[in-house]
Amino acid sequence: MFFKIAIRNIFAYRKRSIITVILLACTTALLVFATAYMDGSHGRLIQSSVEIYPGYVQITHQGFRENPSLENLIFDAAQVSESLQDFPGIEVLTPRFESYVLFSSAEKAVGGMFTAIDPEKERQVSRLAASLKQGSYLTSTDQALVYMGSELAKRLKVGVGDQLAFVGTGADYSFAADTLTVKGIFQTGLFDFDSRASFVAKPYFDRVMAAENYATHFIVQPVRPAEAATLEVAIGQRLGAEYESASWQQTMAGLVQAMRVDSIFGYITLAIIFMVIFFVVMIYTLLVVYARVREIGILRAVGTGPGQIFSMLLLESVLLGLVSVLLGGLIGGALAYYFHINPIVFSGFDEQFKQYGLALTAMPTDFAPLVILRDMAVMFVLSVSATLYPIFKVNAFKPIEAIHHV
Amino acid sequence: MNQPFLDVKKISKIFHPGREVKVQALVDISLTFDRGEFVVISGPSGSGKTTLLNIMGGLDSPTAGDVFLDGERITGVEEKFLSRLRRDHIGFVFQAYNLIPVLTARENIEYVMQLQGRSRSECDRRTREVAEKLAIAELLDKLPGEMSGGQQQRVAVARAVASRPKLILADEPTANLDSKSAEGLMDMMQSLNQDERITIIFSSHDPLVIGKAKHSILLKDGQVTADEFPG
Repeated sequence: MFFKIAIRNIFAYRKRSIITVILLACTTALLVFATAYMDGSHGRLIQSSVEIYPGYVQITHQGFRENPSLENLIFDAAQVSESLQDFPGIEVLTPRFESYVLFSSAEKAVGGMFTAIDPEKERQVSRLAASLKQGSYLTSTDQALVYMGSELAKRLKVGVGDQLAFVGTGADYSFAADTLTVKGIFQTGLFDFDSRASFVAKPYFDRVMAAENYATHFIVQPVRPAEAATLEVAIGQRLGAEYESASWQQTMAGLVQAMRVDSIFGYITLAIIFMVIFFVVMIYTLLVVYARVREIGILRAVGTGPGQIFSMLLLESVLLGLVSVLLGGLIGGALAYYFHINPIVFSGFDEQFKQYGLALTAMPTDFAPLVILRDMAVMFVLSVSATLYPIFKVNAFKPIEAIHHV
Repeated sequence: MNQPFLDVKKISKIFHPGREVKVQALVDISLTFDRGEFVVISGPSGSGKTTLLNIMGGLDSPTAGDVFLDGERITGVEEKFLSRLRRDHIGFVFQAYNLIPVLTARENIEYVMQLQGRSRSECDRRTREVAEKLAIAELLDKLPGEMSGGQQQRVAVARAVASRPKLILADEPTANLDSKSAEGLMDMMQSLNQDERITIIFSSHDPLVIGKAKHSILLKDGQVTADEFPG
C-alpha cells in the first residue's frame, strides 16, 4: 500500500516530480560528464607527457636517477634485455643512451641532448616518429644522421640535409666528435623538449661515443599502460638490487601532483554545484511536503505510525532519485561516449595547452561504465539525503496539528 | 463496580499555555461511556466538542487529566502507542471527510485493515460487506475527487467501521451534508452501532442528529452543562 501511495503521489504532484527529476537528472549528467572530461583530459595529459618521450616505466642502474653520471650507466644492456625477455606485461623494451653535447652549425653553437635510440622500437614507446615535421625518421643503419627538435634546429639555423658538428664526452671519458647531417626534424609541441633534443641510431652512437652495450636507461612500454606501477614493481623484483625501476608516476611526480591539484579544483567546483543542488532539492521538497502536511496528518490519524510515514516519503524520494540518476546517467554516459569517440577540439588554444604539456588540442572524454555507476550512486545518495530533513520535519507534527495545518 | 469502557477524568485543555492570550478549551471535564453506546456531544461553536473528541481519540493531549480506554491510560503515552491504538481500536470520521486523495474509495476503506496486517481476501470481503451496508458499492473504484460530499462521508464512515474498532469518534459528520444525506448517514451509523456493537461518539449541533442519540452531552465554554440519557 505504501508503494502504491508513493507512486500515486509522484504522479499526483506531477509538477514537483518533473522539476525534481529534471534538476537531479541534469546534475547527474553534469557529474558524469565532468568526471569523464576530467579523467579524459588527465588521460590525455599522461599520454602526451609520458608517450612523447619519458615512457611509462624506466629502468636505470642503481643510483643513476640521483646521480646521472657515467659511473652509474647500465654496463650490460644485453643482459637486461635478456632478463626481461618474454616478461609478462611488457610489450616493448628498448635501451637509450642520453648524453649532452655541444652542437655547432655554420652560424651558431648550442648545447643540447644527444640521445641514442633503437629507431624501430622507439616508434612503439614514444611519439618521436609520429612527431616528424620535415625530412624523415631514423633507421637502425643510419650513420651520422641526426633527428632533431624543431626549436633546436631553429636555434642552430639548420634544416634537413644541412651539416653540423658535435663535441662531447664518450662513455669512456674520451673526447667524442663527428659531423652530422640533419635527416629529419620533429615537433612534439613541447617547447622545452623540441629546443634541446636530438636523436641518432644507437649503433652509430655506440661507435662514436664508445658506448657499446651501454645504456643510460631502458624504456618499457607496458601491455596495459594503466598497470605501469604494478609492472614496475615486478620488473624491479626480477632485475634485483643492481637496477632501479620507476613508473611514470615516480619519474614525473610533478605531473602527478599537477593532476591531483587539477582534480581537487575540479571536485571543489562540482561540490559547490552539488551543495547548491542539494539545498534546492531540500527546499523544494520541504515546500512540497509542507503542502501535504494535512494528508500526512490524515494518515497519522487513522493509525499510520511515524516510521511508516517516514518509509513512505523516503520511498517516494528513492523512486524519484532512481529515475533521475538513471536518466542523468544515460544522458551523461551518452555524452561521455560521444566525446570519447569524437574528442572535443579546442582550436586556437594550442599555446595554452602546451603550457600544460599537451601537444594535441583534441580532448577525448574517458568512457568508464564503472565510474559512471559510481557517480550515479553518489548522486542517488545525495538526492535521497536532501529529502531527509523535510521528511523528519513533517513527521515531527502531531496528527492533529498536521490535519489543521494550512 | 463495572469499569467504564471510556473514562474521561478531569480533562482540561489550554491552548497557547505559554502565551499572554490563553484559550481555555476544556475545563475539568469528567465523563464515562459504556461499550456500545451511541453518544452525541452537542454545543455551540467553540464549546470544545472537537477538542474533547480529539483528546478521547489520542489525536491531541490534554493539559491536565487522563483518559482511559478499556482500562488502559491513553494520555501521556508515546506516539508509537497512540498510532497503534488508533489503528487497532479507534475509527475517526471527520467533518471534512479527510479521505486519502490519491487512493480510491476501496483503497481508502482497506487502508487501515492493511495496516493491521489483515489478509487481502479478508480486506476484500469486509470492504464489500461495509460498502453494501453503506450503499457505496458502486463508488468503490472512484477517487475522492470524483465523489460528492455525502458520498465521501459515507466512504469515510466505511473506512472507520471496516477495521472493526471498539470506538468511532465522528466530528460533526453531517455538517457538510444536506438534511436528507445527513439523516441517511445517521441512520446508517445507528444501524452499525446496533449491528456491530461499536461505541459511537459524535459531535453535532444539528437537532435532527442530536435527537437520534441515546446518550447526550451538552458542552458550553469547555464545561459539561448536561449529561443525559434521553432514549
